[in-house]
Amino acid sequence: MVKSISMALAVLFGLSALPAHAQDMPTLTIYTYDGFAAEWGPGPQLSAAFEPICGCRLNWVAADSSIGTLRRVQLEGATTEADLIVGLDTAIAGEARATGLFADHGLTLDDLALPEAWTDQQFVPFDYSHFAFMYDTDRTTTPPKSFEELIALPDDFKIVIQDPRSATPGLGLVLWIKAAYGDRASEIWAGLKPHILTVTREWSESYSLFLDGEADMALSYTTSPAYHIKEEGDETIKAALFEEGHYPQIEVAGVLKSSDQQELAKQFLAWFASSEGQKIIPTTNWMFPVVDLGADLDPAFAGLPQPEKTLHLSDEDILANSSAWIDEMLAAVQ
Amino acid sequence: MLTLPHRPVRIALSITLALAIAGLIIAVLWAILAAATDTATPSRVDIPHLLRMTSIQAGLTTIFSLAVGMALAWSLNRLRFPGRDLVVGLFSAAIVTPGMVVAFGLLSIWGRNGWINEASKAIFGFPLGNPAFGLSGILLAHVILDGAFAARILLARLDAIPASRLKVGQSLALSTSQRFRLIDWPAMRTSLPGLGAIIFLLAFTSFPIVLLLGGGPANQTLEVAIYSAVRLDFDLVGAVRLALTQIGVCAIVILLASASTNVIAPPHGGSTTPLWRDGAFARALQWLVLALSTIGFVLPLLSVLIDGVTGGFGRVLVQPTFWWAFGTSMIIGSASAALTLVLALALCLGRSASSGKALRTLLGTPSFAYLAVPAVVLSLGFFLLIRNLGLAPERAAPFVVIVANSLLALPFAVATLGPPLDAIAHARGKLIRSLGLSGWQQFWSVEYPLLGKDIGLMLALAFCFSLGDLGVIALFGTQDFQTLPLMMFRALGAYRGNDAAAIAAILLIGTILAFVGLPRLFERIAHARG
Repeated sequence: MVKSISMALAVLFGLSALPAHAQDMPTLTIYTYDGFAAEWGPGPQLSAAFEPICGCRLNWVAADSSIGTLRRVQLEGATTEADLIVGLDTAIAGEARATGLFADHGLTLDDLALPEAWTDQQFVPFDYSHFAFMYDTDRTTTPPKSFEELIALPDDFKIVIQDPRSATPGLGLVLWIKAAYGDRASEIWAGLKPHILTVTREWSESYSLFLDGEADMALSYTTSPAYHIKEEGDETIKAALFEEGHYPQIEVAGVLKSSDQQELAKQFLAWFASSEGQKIIPTTNWMFPVVDLGADLDPAFAGLPQPEKTLHLSDEDILANSSAWIDEMLAAVQ
Repeated sequence: MLTLPHRPVRIALSITLALAIAGLIIAVLWAILAAATDTATPSRVDIPHLLRMTSIQAGLTTIFSLAVGMALAWSLNRLRFPGRDLVVGLFSAAIVTPGMVVAFGLLSIWGRNGWINEASKAIFGFPLGNPAFGLSGILLAHVILDGAFAARILLARLDAIPASRLKVGQSLALSTSQRFRLIDWPAMRTSLPGLGAIIFLLAFTSFPIVLLLGGGPANQTLEVAIYSAVRLDFDLVGAVRLALTQIGVCAIVILLASASTNVIAPPHGGSTTPLWRDGAFARALQWLVLALSTIGFVLPLLSVLIDGVTGGFGRVLVQPTFWWAFGTSMIIGSASAALTLVLALALCLGRSASSGKALRTLLGTPSFAYLAVPAVVLSLGFFLLIRNLGLAPERAAPFVVIVANSLLALPFAVATLGPPLDAIAHARGKLIRSLGLSGWQQFWSVEYPLLGKDIGLMLALAFCFSLGDLGVIALFGTQDFQTLPLMMFRALGAYRGNDAAAIAAILLIGTILAFVGLPRLFERIAHARG
């Protein structure tokens, strides 16, 4: 008994001492969301590919969510250990910029293949996808082609979405409907209300409900089908493309001003946004790369249908109005 | 009340502990306020609406859960059948399983594509509808979680009724209703306020289940608003204000419960129940209750097991990360269980030694602290406190998780150990005084041998709570420090539903094993000594 207790204690202290820093090597500490740093996520592969190039160590520190990484550096202020944040997105980039914590990246990003032009001085994009509703071709033969067609379907056609206050796609849908319909947004939300089976906290819960057949469509990404094609050989999960156009999520990374390794951090960003770094992204984070990988792009992605129109809202507009838009959505579906 | 042995050390210890827990909560809230900046956009929340909705939901959950729990405990206490221990273990497993797992288990039975609708389509040609969403869905899920837990705790009280008492009742030929009123009810009554408070608080603060099954923002809890204030609006002052509102409401419930548990339980004795069967009608009713509960409680969990086994069981078991997470979960669970035992004993021994109503009420409150404080506020506060102490959050993480898990399990531990300790103090206080036993002798030769099974149950509860907890670990977990629920949550967030299902099944199996095994083990250890 005593022996097992002392063993347990040894393991506990071992655990708590784990982030061992190799003394002779510079270390980049990167805050990210937990899926990114997970063993099947991009983190480990990025480390394996970049560490020999830079002669440094990448130390991934996972927060529970994308916005959690930003809140953490805000709380830590100048004393933060983070050199970079990887995993913010265009919906919160404006707010992140307004904190004044991020340095200019100083990179010339000419090779990008994004659905919109990139002029951001602080944040470097590293993957993207459009928000879209998933359907199963076995269950839904003719998916709706717009929000208005969806609204016109019988009430027992159910969708699951996420709370905009806790999940990135949930906020994405609020922005999508606002960008597509402007002042009519609240009318669209009211029309969607009878179809909304439930509003979950996380993306994963909605997606599971959809896969279990509890709902006909789930709010997710146009790239989601690639996972099922590649990992499960399942071609029945598809994204419903809407005529209004789709709102994109562009994930970004930025260097913190407080970092004492500005050069190394920027070297990482430049590499990450190049095809060398980007080829790791699609089959680990299940998003499109931000550069044209040509033949290196997995066929599961290359064959995915893409929306014809990409909607856009400015950072300033989002920063000033997103709270009001969320309230509008909550009031309409309440 | 003069029969209570004089135990100033016990009382002092429990008062110190109560103050320490109160101090911790104040420190947590203070740390958040100190970190707040005034640049945040204040969050706009309709607090009265949320309070109204949440109170209705939590009140209904409490009433249904206690009613179901009593009926089920009554049935299980009377019936003997092969596999009874396993059924009891399964019932206990519900409350400590991550809420998400239970909710999805529920859906695979009651949902649109669930077993019941599939069966109905096969038999009648049409589905029965979908009761699993909206208020009915929330209540169904909560009653499954909490009703079965109530049954487990109440069953322990019924099983502890001394054989002598039952013999007297049997020789008096009490009717089924007289037996319930005179023997069962007094045994269960002392546990009801504590249990009711726990269930109310769990339902009041339930976050993922309410969001998953609630059907939309109309059915929401204060916790959602607090999460939003902390995360989205970064309105820390607002978050503390909301947290204080929640703590205030919870405090009323806690004080009411704590004040009304002064009823003293009947003498406590570990005994094997003699065979005393109720009448034919009552027995039919007991079998019916058991059958319905099994369908209601066991099927959702069974579906979790089946999904896990048919999913990625093998694929998960060969991952080194799985075994690392498994080991971490075991160590964290064992450490939390041990710490919970120490904390619960300190509180319960002090409380059972004090006779003043005010002091007993006061000592009954700190165990509920964790339930009243929103998890997101608690983890944020812990994070800030650790930073203020100059420690790296990654290094402190395992210890924070152990402390948080112990606090989480504490109300359940106190509900398990409190009533029997009170009963011992009152029934044997005179004897203890006349023998002049010291506090330590009292514990070692009187209380511990009688408590064996309860300690086992409490350790199983605390261990499993820690095993299934996804609260604090979600904020403090890192790549190198992850428990099984966190690994499951991460798998689910990366399309890996099969892995998640397999881990959920493994968690459930571990929980059932702990609940079947630990109480027996500790009863044996305690008896071998005593």
